[in-house]
Amino acid sequence: MQGQPIVRVRGVHKYFTRGEEQIDVLKNLSLEVPEGEFLGLMGPSGSGKTTLLNLIAGLDRPSEGEVWIRDQLISKMSEAALASWRTRNIGFIFQFYHLLPVLTAYENVELPLLLLPLSSAERQKQVLTALDLVGLTNRMHHRPGQLSGGQQQRVGIARAVVTDPTLIVADEPTGDLDAHSAEEILNLLCELQKSLRKTILLVTHDPRAAERAQRIVHLDKGRLVEGDTSTAIRPAPVGAVAGMQETAIKQQGS
Amino acid sequence: MIEQLLANPITLLCLVISLAVVVAGLVFAITSPRLFLLVIKNLRRNLVRTMLTCLATMVLVAMVTMIWTVIYTLDMVTTEKSKDFKLVVTERWQIPSQMPMTHADYVNPESPKFLPELKGMIGPNDFMTWSFYGGTLDPTKFTRENLLFMFVMNPKHIRSMMDELDTLDPALVKKLEDTRTGVLLGPERLAMINKKVGERIKVTSLNYKGINLELEIVGELPAGRYDQSAIMSDAYFNDELDKYARTTGQKHPLDNKRLNLIWLRVRDRDTFNRVGEIVENSPYFSDRPVKVETASSGIGAWLDAYRDLLWGVKWLLVPAILVSMALVVANAISISVRERYTEMAVLKVLGFRPNSILTLVLGESMLVGALAGFGAALLALLGINFALGGIKFPIAFFPAFFVPIWALAWGLAMGAGAAFLGSILPAQKACSVKVSEVFSKVA
Repeated sequence: MQGQPIVRVRGVHKYFTRGEEQIDVLKNLSLEVPEGEFLGLMGPSGSGKTTLLNLIAGLDRPSEGEVWIRDQLISKMSEAALASWRTRNIGFIFQFYHLLPVLTAYENVELPLLLLPLSSAERQKQVLTALDLVGLTNRMHHRPGQLSGGQQQRVGIARAVVTDPTLIVADEPTGDLDAHSAEEILNLLCELQKSLRKTILLVTHDPRAAERAQRIVHLDKGRLVEGDTSTAIRPAPVGAVAGMQETAIKQQGS
Repeated sequence: MIEQLLANPITLLCLVISLAVVVAGLVFAITSPRLFLLVIKNLRRNLVRTMLTCLATMVLVAMVTMIWTVIYTLDMVTTEKSKDFKLVVTERWQIPSQMPMTHADYVNPESPKFLPELKGMIGPNDFMTWSFYGGTLDPTKFTRENLLFMFVMNPKHIRSMMDELDTLDPALVKKLEDTRTGVLLGPERLAMINKKVGERIKVTSLNYKGINLELEIVGELPAGRYDQSAIMSDAYFNDELDKYARTTGQKHPLDNKRLNLIWLRVRDRDTFNRVGEIVENSPYFSDRPVKVETASSGIGAWLDAYRDLLWGVKWLLVPAILVSMALVVANAISISVRERYTEMAVLKVLGFRPNSILTLVLGESMLVGALAGFGAALLALLGINFALGGIKFPIAFFPAFFVPIWALAWGLAMGAGAAFLGSILPAQKACSVKVSEVFSKVA
């Protein structure tokens, strides 16, 4: 059961200029994503998927139109305000993981928490919970170079959820993984959505990945074409998720 | 010490910068230990590059420290003090100054000829005469090792008037006073002529022809400024000139020119002006007019010959070295930032503000710069002062220049400053990374 729209994209137009030529990437696009929904965003290369994701995640601003997340108009925020907002509200999962190679898995997951007013004990608790959630507590002192692609992506997911964000955006999170690892990552995302009621936006080329989403929208040449709903969510590892929920609730309470 | 600092604004500025850098670094390390650790880890990422940058900075800082040591020392001795002025009375129209000894009587408070107008302005311990005697230990073979250049003066004025000799062992002074033929030698000069305290030497004069001396080495001057100096009593010197007149039936050609300098000490600038006016206008000096200047301006006049060279070193060479240092750091940090654009973008995605990224990049370069600068200055201080016995740069009266303790502040400020200047543009570039552009390239 889904709630009120958490993401509202209204009449967004995004273009880039190259010399005198204007390249339209998104054209008068509107989209609403209800809270707790797992939305798949598909489309061919150059259709504007990543641009839309960047706008929703507050990494870029539309040329025209508005982007609201909950009750905040993020398309008008200053860069500094957006940075703070992202820390608390957005968990970003990259295709190529983008972990800092000099830091251990633990330290990579801890990184966003350094920007929040938390004690070191609170930070430690949240990092361990997030690593437990992705099943990597036993590898937390390893550096990215010592982990497999799948494990690195799980660290990336732990880093994305450690601040208990409003929205998780994932840009081709399985694009660099083998089929088995990709399956594990998708299962993990489904668990997050189901157990923690996280709103997830998944950009993918892969129809099998998109199948996990509750709703799929297609982008073509910067315009939105809505598709069918498809759900196949596997049960979550209750212990780990419960721990995460507990931390999240406590954090909200404090 | 505070007076020294205030008299040298560049050193004061370096001290302020150093303290600010250390405080900022400590605050950063204490309040954000994990980010400080990230800075350290980033520096360890390419250890060879970090070490090379560090090494280049150290070499350049050490060079500037050595150059600045000479400039600083010369600045210090040519800077006017606000109190306890030393006046130098010299012959007005001739260099080198060669005055008759009778000139000293008019400004010597213990002489019956002392000018009454000077009473109350110059005390018995505020007066000193200087004569310079140069000779060789082996007249058949003139070598640098055989040469001996001596300051001829009244021993009882050494401690009260000579710079940095106020702590000289009074027993040594007494020995020089009691031993009419005594001489004190600096440790390096002593080693150079291969003699020990207690031994006797025969000196054949080079400037006072026929006035050859037999001296007894009664003690050693402290190491440092007087390493190569020699001080003998004026009583023996004056007796020998008188003896020359008695034995040859005529005065020595330099008899009436034996006084090279008179030093007087006054309490303040006002007194200096009054004494200068009285002495310069006194009819007693009309046969051989004199001029009165401060000791610092006197030394400044000696340094006049080097003025252009020192100006070039101070305002061209040193800035050029500092710019080179900034460029070395800029090059290393630019490469490092360029390699990590994606990481900077990731940090932005995670919520790091542009200023935080700027701080991280500046922190890396300034940590390297400050540590390398401080390390180089510390090595220069210990190595030059204790291992090498000073910088042997033959200029004016200085046998060697010693690195002052302030060099630690120069080093730290230079290293951190050059690192800051070199990394500010790369850091600016890093913090203005456009996340969407970086990831579109990565994809």
